[in-house]
Amino acid sequence: MFEQLINMVFSASFGYSIIRITSPILFAALAAVVAEKGGVVNIGLEGIMMISALFGVLFSYWTNSWIPGVIGAVVIGVLVAMIMAVFALKLKTDIILAGIAVNLLGGGGTAFLLYLFTGLKGNTASMTTPNMLTPKVHIPLLKDIPVIGQIFSGHSVLTYLAFLLVFLVWILLYKTAMGLRIRAVGENSNAADSVGVSVLKTKYIALGISGALAGLGGAYMSMYYSQSWNIGIVAGRGFIALAAQAMGQGEPVGAMLSSLLFGFASALGNKMEGMQGFSSYLVASIPYLVTILGLVVYAMSTKKKIKRFRENAK
Amino acid sequence: MENKRQSMFEFFRGFAAIAIAILVAFILILICADDPGKAMECLLVRPIFSNGAINLKSILTIFARMTPTIFTGLAVCVMFSANQFNLGGEGAVMLGGFVAALIAIYIPLGAGVHILVAILAGTIIGGLVMIVPAVIKVRLKASEMVCSLMMNYVIMYVVLHFLNNVFADRSKGATQSYPFMSSAVIPKMISNTELSWGFAIAIIATVTVAFFMYRTRWGYAIRMIGINESFSKYSGMKVGGMIVLSQVIGGMLSGMGGAIEVLGRDNTFLWLNLPGYGWTGITVAILAKNNPIMIPFAALFISYLNRGCELMSIYAGVPSEMIDIIQAVIFLFFAAEHFLAGTRQKIVVKDAKEELQKKEVAAAGEGGNK
Repeated sequence: MFEQLINMVFSASFGYSIIRITSPILFAALAAVVAEKGGVVNIGLEGIMMISALFGVLFSYWTNSWIPGVIGAVVIGVLVAMIMAVFALKLKTDIILAGIAVNLLGGGGTAFLLYLFTGLKGNTASMTTPNMLTPKVHIPLLKDIPVIGQIFSGHSVLTYLAFLLVFLVWILLYKTAMGLRIRAVGENSNAADSVGVSVLKTKYIALGISGALAGLGGAYMSMYYSQSWNIGIVAGRGFIALAAQAMGQGEPVGAMLSSLLFGFASALGNKMEGMQGFSSYLVASIPYLVTILGLVVYAMSTKKKIKRFRENAK
Repeated sequence: MENKRQSMFEFFRGFAAIAIAILVAFILILICADDPGKAMECLLVRPIFSNGAINLKSILTIFARMTPTIFTGLAVCVMFSANQFNLGGEGAVMLGGFVAALIAIYIPLGAGVHILVAILAGTIIGGLVMIVPAVIKVRLKASEMVCSLMMNYVIMYVVLHFLNNVFADRSKGATQSYPFMSSAVIPKMISNTELSWGFAIAIIATVTVAFFMYRTRWGYAIRMIGINESFSKYSGMKVGGMIVLSQVIGGMLSGMGGAIEVLGRDNTFLWLNLPGYGWTGITVAILAKNNPIMIPFAALFISYLNRGCELMSIYAGVPSEMIDIIQAVIFLFFAAEHFLAGTRQKIVVKDAKEELQKKEVAAAGEGGNK
């Protein structure tokens, strides 16, 4: 049994599925990174992904093309994030509560909106046409290399965008004036305020970017991963992304690595499900357990670091 | 200073938040219902009145559906009072319900004892699981929110595993457990309704939690930590212990709610997904402004709306998920501290002016006497 498992882990298709599963979490984890850097906890990622996933399908259905769908998902993501921002920043609703409200909207509200717009209940499987799905990209040259080509080529456009965004978000945060402002506001908003940075405006921007990234994650789910929208489509990925952000120490690359870890655990679970002797339910819980363990390990290492730092200071 | 006018304003503000939510509901109904009038009647009136008479059965159903959310509302109330954003109520409810169900099915006990033991087991297991995020928070400073969210899913899958692979009743078409022994089923308050004696336990729990939070040292410590953690620490409270305690109490209340819901409503374990009471509990706690005594009223309100939405989906074809949109809107406005801040400002200024005037008059009077 274990031999079978090991063979499977070292197969090219396994690598392919890790990347496929990681992508949506990566989008959301980057969203969490940007928000957190700006000093706002965006717990509404789950809801934003749900809503964007739905509107991605709707927009692409209305236009019969995937590009407006993706753009629509991003716009809606920003819009929902802005609603959150108005409540949290202007009307002073606790940001966590605002996030929970967005998740409520994402949970049942989307089912209602779906009915409102299409008359369908629960899922959009009957609407899907090939034009609505984001296309797979086969990278020339790379795709012909054995193993590596099989793993890295043939993913959705959005997958490549997700990994490119890790780099772009890093540039944004560390190489642009806007990024500096976002980090300054997150680190010490009073200090930022005292040198003339508009704290509110910066937080709005951070949340907006966060919403856009989560929107892409939603689009990936409904327009590629599941090929249609349904009520259980996001299944806690927005929450996992929060964990990935914490585990990745709030940095884009760290968040990518922890998203990959989650992707690995998930892919492993998916493959084990088909094998004899594993309970599919217990296997499905592995990624969440791994996330908790990851959090604990990360927290322990930070604690040690602080201790060492203090001892050195003596 | 809290005075009458300001508390009136607070009341009005809550009312405005609810009014906005109902307004949103009306707009949605206008867009999607074939017969908006009938839909609105279903939402607002039909839970109590139908066909020109008071519908007692429906009213009792509303009360019955309050029971689990009172428990989760209280749980959230205790945890949020200590500023602990533990969102693991969902998981604790499901696990509490499942463990209680197992005892109800497999461990034969005497008539009265059986119910007690089953509920107690659900309560304890709920408290035990919450130790995990609480201790991780206190010892390692890791977010209890993320940890408890992840735990919900772990609990759900573990319960589903045992339900499907170990305890399933294969003679039934749907996935469910074997039926409970009759000695473990919580009796109904009124026969042929959904209302069980679990409702009475919920009310007792409310009074107990209110007493605990406002009349005991631990309750005081929990509230103090929520208001100012550093102050609590330097005034000698055991902050870590209290943080764990608040979350364990939250878990116990959720577990108890799950156990009572499972044993009081059906006669077998039927949950194949997280039941959602944990999230509703948060709405309820927000509506009650974290005041335990107000929890049943908030739960009643949500339960009423829920029933209304249900009837609306049956008789007027509006999807019952509208309740989530209404809840989200109430939630956002209710928790918004600066909602109608302008009006509040005016009231405060007016009060201050009046007080100044009074003082001046008094001072002038004194001056005249001298």
